[in-house]
Order: sequence, then structure tokens, then C-alpha cells
Amino acid sequence: MLNDYSAIEGRSPGFIKLLFGLGFLVLLGAGAFVYVEHYGHAVTGMNNQIVWGLPHIFAISLLVMASGALNMGSMSTVFAVNQFEQFGRFSAFLAIALLIGGLTVLMLDLGRPDNMLLPMVYMNFTSMFTWNVFLYTGFMTLCLLYLWTMFEYKQYKKLVGTAAFGWRLVLTTGTGSIFGVIQGREVFGSAITAPTFVAVSLTSGTALGILLLVHTFRQTNREMDERLIFGMRNALMFFLMLVAYLLIVEKFTRLYDPASQAVQMWILTGSWAWLYWIGVWGMGVIIPLALLFNHTLGNRVSGVLLASGCVVIGAFCFVAHTLLAGQSYPFDMFPGFKVESSFQDGVVGSYTPTLPELFLGLGGVGISGLIYLLGIRFFRMLPKKGVVPPGWDLPWSP
Amino acid sequence: MTMDRRSVLGLGGAIAAGVALAPGLHLIAAPAAPATPTDDATEAPPVPRWALLIDTTRCTTDCTACTSACRTENNVQLFGDPERDIHWIRKVELRDMNLRHPPVSLPVLCNHCEHPPCVHVCPTAASFIRKDGVVLVDKHRCIGCRYCMIACPYKARSLVFHKTKPPKDNNPAVPIRAAGVVEKCTFCVHRVDNGEQPACVAACAKADKNAMLFGDINDPKSEISQRLLKEKTQTIRPDLGLKPHVHYKGI
Amino acid sequence: MSVNSPIILALFSAGRVLRLSVLIVVLLAVWMSGLSAPSEAWANPPQPEKAVRGPCVRDADWMRRNHMDFLKHKRNETVREGKFIQSEAFLACASCHQSRERFCDRCHAYVAVAPNCFDCHQYPK
Repeated sequence: MLNDYSAIEGRSPGFIKLLFGLGFLVLLGAGAFVYVEHYGHAVTGMNNQIVWGLPHIFAISLLVMASGALNMGSMSTVFAVNQFEQFGRFSAFLAIALLIGGLTVLMLDLGRPDNMLLPMVYMNFTSMFTWNVFLYTGFMTLCLLYLWTMFEYKQYKKLVGTAAFGWRLVLTTGTGSIFGVIQGREVFGSAITAPTFVAVSLTSGTALGILLLVHTFRQTNREMDERLIFGMRNALMFFLMLVAYLLIVEKFTRLYDPASQAVQMWILTGSWAWLYWIGVWGMGVIIPLALLFNHTLGNRVSGVLLASGCVVIGAFCFVAHTLLAGQSYPFDMFPGFKVESSFQDGVVGSYTPTLPELFLGLGGVGISGLIYLLGIRFFRMLPKKGVVPPGWDLPWSP
Repeated sequence: MTMDRRSVLGLGGAIAAGVALAPGLHLIAAPAAPATPTDDATEAPPVPRWALLIDTTRCTTDCTACTSACRTENNVQLFGDPERDIHWIRKVELRDMNLRHPPVSLPVLCNHCEHPPCVHVCPTAASFIRKDGVVLVDKHRCIGCRYCMIACPYKARSLVFHKTKPPKDNNPAVPIRAAGVVEKCTFCVHRVDNGEQPACVAACAKADKNAMLFGDINDPKSEISQRLLKEKTQTIRPDLGLKPHVHYKGI
Repeated sequence: MSVNSPIILALFSAGRVLRLSVLIVVLLAVWMSGLSAPSEAWANPPQPEKAVRGPCVRDADWMRRNHMDFLKHKRNETVREGKFIQSEAFLACASCHQSRERFCDRCHAYVAVAPNCFDCHQYPK
């Protein structure tokens, strides 16, 4: 078993270019952080109506994908889908890498990053953020333990892997509940927000896993049985339909209620509708499903890769839409009145992201990427060869 | 006694501090200071519950006495950046969509809710509610995460986006706020604790409008309690169940 | 330099990275220790400005050791509980110690701590 896995060699020009590229992203992020710190958040596009912007979109997307990245490990450890067991290490390690990248962005965008340890000292247990501090640290610990058991103590793998699986559901529920528990803004505040986040984490994590696995295997000239990719494709299709279902149920329930019809119609037709239709639905659900159900493309690795790329972009759009549309819609403080003030009351908020924000977000991607790259370089994370267990075959293909 | 600050750095210390301070809402159970500063800890008077009544029938569109008084009193600066300017109190114009009522002008400020969502979501308990009902931000503890601004349904909070310097006509009683923290109306605690009226209320009376009435609703004999009992008033978004304590008449 | 150059390639071996980082840390530590002030400066720390009147709310030795905790404690009482005692207020220091530069900043600079009180508060003149 020891010899089934190996670290990548890391001597190819491609590897080193990638390493420097990701390092450059991290430097960009660090520069953006110093810049915003020096001039205040006024240099960002964020304002008093839209207080969370592009950095938070990057951060939350990474956190959502982090919990989703554990999918392949959980599928084998918890649900005995044994052909994915070989990707367990990869999956748990990717989860850690994405989590660190996302959390770093979140921390560095604080107004007072010098005080970032205060939540550890003064905990307010009614805050979702405090809960999330525990959820993130706990998740990281469990993922590390899970990795450790996969390397050395196989007898505890099932136990720790199951705990990590349960934790990741709670974790993403916590992430979604950051918005789900907010009643003050018309768009937020729905019990279905958290489950939708869980579903999006399932799709985006699986999609990112497919992308990274296939590319890493190709770049390092490792063989992989294509049926493994198509197995993941089937899971991805199921998860995508789950997302579609939850999105439809949410809209249906909200539109049924006369009190929230105005805001829901605004979401479907207003200033962020393009993001909703093209990003959340198009990239996130319809295009990938169409690609995967297609007899030709769905049975080609390139088609699956294309669909996976769409899904990752779609998940990013989903988080972006949740945040931006949620914050743009004006507060309805005086129902039945037209409201006007010097503080943009009654006006749909505007938000134009600036470069520092983009760089800060990309810095988080760079950190995650670097951790992943160095991890597979120095540890035996990846199987030498992706093989299917004897006697297993793909149950279904489009 | 020497306090060992380093112990707080350890995980154990962090947990201990968390456990000791976590139910923060109970710690904030001290009364307002007596009217005259004294070195003796005196017997606490009955705890007040400060509230504000705004009579919109007396408020006029052209009058900005309350907002400018607030800026002077609390060193709230304008940066010439409308979307990122800080407003502790702002004038809002309401127009009935069916044109059945004449337009209404009124100030909107922090509602000092009884169940403030900003306090619930604050990860460091930097936002807190005093025993006398005033909701405040402890800027020493604020990390600038802006979750409170997401949670507040009144848009009462502003982040300090710009680097700040003391203004020329600086009021030394109120410190300025450094960039990166969230700030909002304090009901002028520094004045209220000394038995004075908040600056906006005083300015409103001085401008001869008398549209704002500040007082203690725990005292049934106070003018505000009497008027809230007799007159038809309402709060903003009562449906959210936050029990705001800025009451409006005539909307 | 090409990405294939042996120097860059050599950097990416686990053991070498480890040894190199240990070396860098040790070198940094040696360099930093050389930067520290000469010993006679340590023997003569700056003295905070004497009060123009007294006595202080606590004795000077206690204050020297504990003023930061004292101020923080009073700060929490004032801000969060509304308990305000004029003579123990943070800015009341200024009624006896008149110069912020000589009373606060000199020692803080000497021990290299940077409390950010004066980002917001103003030392009364």
C-alpha cells in the first residue's frame, strides 16, 4: 500500500512556473492587503450599503469548496464507494488548503486586522461568526486527523472520516447561516439558504476535485482509468439536480408570499438578475447539466472538465449573487412610502469592485494553490495510478 | 495583584477568558453613572430605559438642526464620498405612493432596540447593550467585520472607510474613530450620563421645533411615558420583533 | 535564469528547504541580536515625566507596572458599564502629567510598544 502513492517530482518547468505564478498571486494579495490597510477601506468599492464585497465572495467561495472538496474522501470512507478511496488523501488535503486560503482572505479584509484575535478572547456565542470560528478550526483539525489516519492508522479511518463528514455538513450550514439568520435584509433570512450552501458545496467541491485530479494526473504523466472520472460525473449530476431543486423551492415559496413578491421579482429582473440567470442558473446548473447529459460530451473527459469548470464558476456566482443582491436591495423601512435621503435610502445599492479587492481575493486562491502544490510535492498525496477496483464498472452513462 | 496578561495568549487563557466573558450580556449590568462625577461608588438609582419620541408633524424638510448638531457634537466628519460618508442620524423624506398623505420628513437614527440584531451577531461582543438600553460599539474591541451592518435593518451603522483626523472644531468629550471600526449613534451617552439631553434633541428644541422628546420610559411619570401612553405612535419595522425605542408620531 | 537551472531545482527538495530555513532563522537571530541597543542604554531607561501635582490615584511603582491593565479595566467599566470616575479616567492623567511626549511616548518607544490610544483620543493640553 505504501508504494501505491507517491509525491510528484516537481522538477518540470511547468511545476516551477505554476509555483511562481501562484506565488505572484500571493504577493499581489499581500500588496493589496497593505494598500487597503494604509488607505482605509475607502479604496475598495465597498460602501455603507454593500459592506461585503469581492474579497468575501472569494473567501466564502473557497470555504464552500473546502467543505465540498472532502466529498471524494467521504464517499469512500462513509458511503463505501470504494473506487474513490485512493483519492481520500487528496480530498482531505485539498479541503485544508482551500480552507486556509479562504480564511486568510476573510481575516485580511477586516477593518482592524490587528485585532483579528479578539474573537478568540471575547466570544459572543449568539454570533454565527463565533460558531464558525469553532466550525472552521474543528474542521481543519478533523481533516488533519483524517489525513493522518489515512496515512498511518487505517483502523480509525472510518471513525474520523465519518466525524469529518458530519462536521462538514454542519460547517457549510454555518457558512450559509451567516446569511440565513439575518432577518433585517429582505433577501436574506431563509431556512433554505444553509441547505442550498451545502448543495453548492457538493457540486463545486466535486467539480474542483475533478479538475485538479485530471490536470495533476495529466501533468505528471500518471494514468487514470476514465471510468473514475465518469463515476464522479454521475455524482456531480446528482448534486447539480439537488441545487436546482433547492433553488426552485426557495423561489417558489418566496414568490407565493405577496409580502416578498416585490423583492423576489427584483431578484429575477433587477440589477443583479444577469448574475442570477447567467451565473447561478446558467453556469451553475443548466450548462453543466446539459453538457453532462449530452451523449457525446458527457462521455468524454474533456466534456466533464468543461462542465466542472462551469460548475466552479457557477458556485462563485452563487456566492456573489447571495452577497451582492442581498445587500443591494434597499431596506424597506417604511412600506408603502417612497423614501429619499442623503444616505441612499430607498435606492438600490451600487457596487463596483476595485483592483485591490480582486487582488486580495486572488491572493487567497494563490495561497490555496500553493499549499496544494507544495503538499503534493512533499507528501504522498496522490496514487501513482488511478485504477478501478476489480469487479467494478460504471453503473450508468448518458 | 499582578494580572498575568501572557496567560491570555495561551489557549487555556483564551478559553478561560472566553468562559468568563462569554455571557457578556450579563456583565453589562451596571447603572448609568450618577449625575455628578464622584469618587465614591454610590448606591445605584433605579435603572432608566432611555427612549426617543419623534413627532414628525413638527419636523420640516428644510430643517437639519439635529443632523448638524450630531456632527458637531460627535465629531462625525463628511469625506465628500456620499456612499461612504458616516451618518449617525439622517433626514429621510417619505412620499406616500398613493399621494393620500402629504410628504413626511423625519430623522432616522439607531433605534436602540431591546433585541438588537447587531449585538446578536457581533463576534467579539464589541456591540453591546447597556443596562439602560443604549446600544453601543466598543471601538476598542471592534474588528471591523461589518456583520452588524449586514444585520441592522435601519442602516444605522457606518464603517469608518477613510483615515480620520480630529476636525478643527473638535469636541474633546468624544474621541474620534480610527479607520476600520464601525460606529453609530450613541444617544450621546456622554451627555445623558451627565443628565443632559442628546445633542440632536437639544438642537431640535433650540431650533424651536420641539419635534424630539428624550426620556426614561421606565419612569411612568416622565413626559415621554405619558405621551407614549396617550398618543398614537409607531416604531420602524415592528414586524421584526426588535422592540426599537425610537418612536414616531404622525407617519 | 531558466526555470530549469540547478539552483532553482535544488531549492525544491524537502530536506534542503528545511535545512535552509533553519539556517535563515539562525542568521536572522544573530543579526537581530547585533541590532539591539548597547548595554549602557539598558541601564538608563527614560524616566516618565514627573507629575506637576500629586498624589496619583495609585502609587508610582504600582502604576509603572500595572497602568496598562488599570487603564484597560477602567476603560471597560466606562465604556461598557457606564461607570465613570473622573479622577481615574484615562485622559485625567493629563491633569498632572502635562506632556504626552514625555509621559507616554518616550517609554513606549523605548520598550517598543505601540498602544493605539491616540489614534482616536486626544491628550488634553
